[in-house]
Amino acid sequence: MKRHIVTLAVLISLVIGLVVATDLTDIRLFDRIATNLCISLVLVLGMQVFMGNSGILSFAHIGFMGIGAYTSAALTIPVQMKGMALPDLYPVVAAVELSPYLGILAGGLVAALVAAALSYPLMRLSDAAAVITFFALLVVLHTVMLHWSEVTNGPRTLFGIPKATDLNLAAGFAALAIVAALAFKESRTGLLLRSTRDDETAAGALGAKVAVLRWQAFILSALFAGIGGALWGHFITSFSPKAFYLKETFVILGMLVIGGANTVSGAVVGAFMVTFAFEGLRAVESGLNRAQIFSEQVVGLTEITLALAMIGIMALRPGGVFAMREIGAILTRRARKKRDSS
Amino acid sequence: MTMFIQFLIDVLSLGGAYALMALGLVIVFGILKLVNFAYGELIMVAGYTMYMVSGLGLPWLVMAGIAVIMAIMAGIATDYVAFRPVRAKSVTAVLITSFAFSTLLQNAAQLFISPRPRTVPLPEIFSATVEIAGVITPARNLITIAAAVTLLAFFAFIMKRSILGIAMRAAATHFTMTRMLGVPANLIISSAFAISGFFAGVVSLLWIGRIGTVVPGIGLEPLLIAFIATVIGGMRSLQGAVLGGFLLAFIDTGLNYSLPQELLKFRDAFTFSLVILILLWRPQGLMRGPATGQRT
Amino acid sequence: MLEVNSLEVRYGAIRAVHDVSLTLAEGELVTLLGANGAGKSSTLLAIAGALRANGRILLEGQDVTSWSPERMVRNGVVMVPETRDVFPDLTVLENLRLGGYVRRSDQAGLAEDRERIFELFPRLKERGDQPGGTLSGGEQQMLVIARAMMSRPRLLLLDEPSLGLAPTIVDQIFEMIVELKRSGLTILLVEQNASKALEVADRAYVMRLGRVAAEGTAADIAAASDLKAIYLGG
Repeated sequence: MKRHIVTLAVLISLVIGLVVATDLTDIRLFDRIATNLCISLVLVLGMQVFMGNSGILSFAHIGFMGIGAYTSAALTIPVQMKGMALPDLYPVVAAVELSPYLGILAGGLVAALVAAALSYPLMRLSDAAAVITFFALLVVLHTVMLHWSEVTNGPRTLFGIPKATDLNLAAGFAALAIVAALAFKESRTGLLLRSTRDDETAAGALGAKVAVLRWQAFILSALFAGIGGALWGHFITSFSPKAFYLKETFVILGMLVIGGANTVSGAVVGAFMVTFAFEGLRAVESGLNRAQIFSEQVVGLTEITLALAMIGIMALRPGGVFAMREIGAILTRRARKKRDSS
Repeated sequence: MTMFIQFLIDVLSLGGAYALMALGLVIVFGILKLVNFAYGELIMVAGYTMYMVSGLGLPWLVMAGIAVIMAIMAGIATDYVAFRPVRAKSVTAVLITSFAFSTLLQNAAQLFISPRPRTVPLPEIFSATVEIAGVITPARNLITIAAAVTLLAFFAFIMKRSILGIAMRAAATHFTMTRMLGVPANLIISSAFAISGFFAGVVSLLWIGRIGTVVPGIGLEPLLIAFIATVIGGMRSLQGAVLGGFLLAFIDTGLNYSLPQELLKFRDAFTFSLVILILLWRPQGLMRGPATGQRT
Repeated sequence: MLEVNSLEVRYGAIRAVHDVSLTLAEGELVTLLGANGAGKSSTLLAIAGALRANGRILLEGQDVTSWSPERMVRNGVVMVPETRDVFPDLTVLENLRLGGYVRRSDQAGLAEDRERIFELFPRLKERGDQPGGTLSGGEQQMLVIARAMMSRPRLLLLDEPSLGLAPTIVDQIFEMIVELKRSGLTILLVEQNASKALEVADRAYVMRLGRVAAEGTAADIAAASDLKAIYLGG
């Protein structure tokens, strides 16, 4: 129990530290980066809840981010604006204008409901088939977002989402996500699920129950994704379906994988590491573009580097930075060893 | 009656393309138990090769040949970059590296060639139309059917008769035992990737032949098709992949014909729902693969 | 012909084989006995190149310790593992053809060998086009031995051929093993069925907990009173 508390303490202090440091420097750019980082934390932790405990890669995760974002948008865009932003929106929804905080929760809920409705058949698939089918689910969600113009404004950008997400809100949700992810991991469902993750015989012995366990984990992860998506929507105030597709999936997956998919600490640390690396690389990219070293715009450098990093980590340390044990476990064991030897 | 023939030609030509896509994916999966996310990019490589050699004034078949060779080489490169470094590690690790490699290739194309579509040369015969039993259809469709049938038959022959094919089927069941009979492991693996690249190259010609241009993301749709065809067909079975391809083409074409106009753009969502129903009924796919105790 | 010196095989932190040394002369049939978990299979797998090992393995004077399984087969050493590993979806003929992979350029020789094998194992000829998975346990054992013979090995490593088979079938299998020995093949036979093995072997080693606990001629070992003790532990 103690090591869990230590883990929570360390991870949440990272978030708090981030907020404090950003407030102290008082630079808008850093505020933006930090807020994005906190939103990423919510998303990565959501992915960790499913992938870390079940061992299955869910490529569909970002699709649920989109569901959350669009749900919250439809419910919170001021009624007067809705006429312009979503002219064809169904009258029932068009008349509604919720506070963004409710919108964010609604986004999470709707995402979780959709996940509950759609995903059960996928939970009985073998690992490779499941991954492939989740990938297809992502594409389908994307297609729906792209074409359901009444709700999403189609492939065009949706404007008018009220700006409600600031660093404190995002950090608050990030902290909540850390607690929830760890709680789930150590809960009965989480422990049972993890026992099936690597041991095929154990999975077979549990039979159909594995599907139910996975399903529960998936719903929880979709809740995180929906909330994260809505948070992001209220931060950026305008978006289009292409924000919820492969590129975003790649980045969030990279964060999780590099940090360590099996641990909550890994998810958190991975998000921090990749965000900082990304921002650094992006600065390099724009520096190169400004200096006009190449005739065309340098684009995609950050993705290429991230891809190489992911391949490298998989080759050298496939479990990620925190492959097996949470940071609390590592620290308490070290403390105990020191105590024992002294 | 003409409607039926039209439907049949559409299903067969689409199914042929889908079956080839699926086969290229399954051949690596069956032996190595690894999902190759970078498969779509092999199609992209072939497409961009066609674009890059288009100015050289070579006959189309020669350009096509070069494109297919490049796809084969890219397939083998995928093995060295994304698979060999992590093969001993978990299955998830390989999924991630191949996904990363896929992103890398796409971004490289974006960076070094262009993010905008580039035209790919096509032979005139592709756009010529042909009349069969009262139905007018692009010659391309018939060529696709012919190519698919020929390649599938040739592939089945190789797998059944040649020593390499036998070795590959054996390796899919029990890799180590195959090595213990003296068959070099690396040869089997490289052959699988090369064949995968070959199919990707051919598919590329047929697939891009419908659009005429290539973009960095062109591999995504064929990849998805290959994925779904493989999953419904049964991931361990080569015949299953072919069956899955034709079934998927049947579903897609059927929906094309039957969905009302406003719902047509959601066709993929409907296809996917049907796929989910199939998977609910048969989670392991429609065809049983080689008998082993291992999970897929 | 084969000399093994101080062989050590580890599975992670566990040592399955410690300091095992044995020799085989050409034409001999030597059997490796011992209870479950004694390290017999691991020893065989190490010789065959399928497991990494410390120590030295010499094949006719050449150091083959680090050789891959493919290379060992090319040099005439083939193993039939305890799991048999018939390829169930390949036909009997296809299984045999794969066994002859390293001699694939010599189609005439392979055809000859196939005929000779069918004389030795007539049941296999009958079932030529049937998938390997449909054969009975005894037939599968015959198939995997025949498959190994297709590469014309000099040294055959057999891991528990009698496993799971009825006594009459076991007798047939052992008759074939004797035939193979008579034709000049060198055989290293791992067996739990000590009495059958000692009937056909020239010499024997007894392993216990990863080490060689006894060695000698088959007659000596058969007569040894402490054999039971070695087998049953204590």
